[in-house]
Amino acid sequence: MTERRPRRSRRASTTMLLVLVVATMPAGSAFAQAGSPAIRGINGSWETYPPRAAGLGSGEAASIPGPAPIPDPPLKPEYLDEWEAERARIAELTSQGLPPVTSGMACLPEGMPGMMLGTFPMEVLETPGQVTIIQEAFTQVRRIYLNEDAPAPEDAEPRFAGHSAGRWQGDTLVVETVGVKDYVRFRNVPHSPNMRIVERIRLVGDQFMENQVTIEDPQYLTAPWTWTWMYRRWPGYKMQEYVCEDNRYFVDPKLGYQRLRVE
Amino acid sequence: MRLKRGVAGWAAALGVLAVVSGSPAFAHHSFAPYEPKLQIKFSGVVTKFRWANPHVYIEMDVADEKTGATRHWLIECANPGILNRVGWRFNMLEAGDQITVIVSPLRNGEPAALLKQITLADGSTYTNGGPAGPATID
Repeated sequence: MTERRPRRSRRASTTMLLVLVVATMPAGSAFAQAGSPAIRGINGSWETYPPRAAGLGSGEAASIPGPAPIPDPPLKPEYLDEWEAERARIAELTSQGLPPVTSGMACLPEGMPGMMLGTFPMEVLETPGQVTIIQEAFTQVRRIYLNEDAPAPEDAEPRFAGHSAGRWQGDTLVVETVGVKDYVRFRNVPHSPNMRIVERIRLVGDQFMENQVTIEDPQYLTAPWTWTWMYRRWPGYKMQEYVCEDNRYFVDPKLGYQRLRVE
Repeated sequence: MRLKRGVAGWAAALGVLAVVSGSPAFAHHSFAPYEPKLQIKFSGVVTKFRWANPHVYIEMDVADEKTGATRHWLIECANPGILNRVGWRFNMLEAGDQITVIVSPLRNGEPAALLKQITLADGSTYTNGGPAGPATID
């Protein structure tokens, strides 16, 4: 009589085999084989470009021109006045040394599209069917599901990063994002539940990546609001931990302005 | 009074506020509460080094040059990520270390300040990263 191996140990061997296969894959392959159609070359660590203040990125000097500054939002007049008044109020209080309390102080993440400005370095992971972007600041994560449609705005549970669907069109990853929480406001610009963010992401040479951002929101905007962000590859950069809630030394929001808590 | 708040408590306190992003220099908060131009330099002894996000803090005792009375200072630094990128290490300071700092104090006169530059006992000098601005005095 042939001795049958118990089910349990067969499962254990399969697990072991899987572990071995994964362990012998090239580092950074994230379960996808090199040359797979899933890997289009945007994976890896990136810093925003052109370089900003020391410590925010690699410190490498600029080598090509950066994108134009982000224009003011084309808000409808009824919203523009309020937006400009708020900008002036914040500037005035800040000049007095009493900057208003912000969401960042409460460790709330930037959300979309702010998390793509590259406050700190970011990491792009390409895996079959998905592109994942991790921003070091606030440990923000967004998942872009490939080759499927974004949900209808009314079906999209509001989130900080919204819901993103992407499709490669030639060398460009076109990503549509909906379902951003109404109080997640890039540059303090209000938006409706129907706001749609379209990003056109592509490599520029091997070292740079461009992200053409378009915000569509006919309820608030007279025209699409568009700008371009650029990133520079940072080979070998290992993302750092950012647990913002670790240190609540800082301010008493009840005061209504930012103030170091001195004990 | 020490405030104890969970994230939910903070979020509730900030409930009417929008999540505003778009200032690349400051991930967490503004440095506007500090003197915009005034910088001072003093030496003292580290009593606590707290290496954590969103900001690193140094506490130090500083003896008044004239009276000899000790004043306890709280020194705000950038976050661990920025500091690592400009050469700091999580274990480069500990209580008892003698340090010299150049700082911008709070505008309201309290003994807390934004670091511009630190010199350790071995003479090595570090900035607080670009967003905090450079030291403008020697």
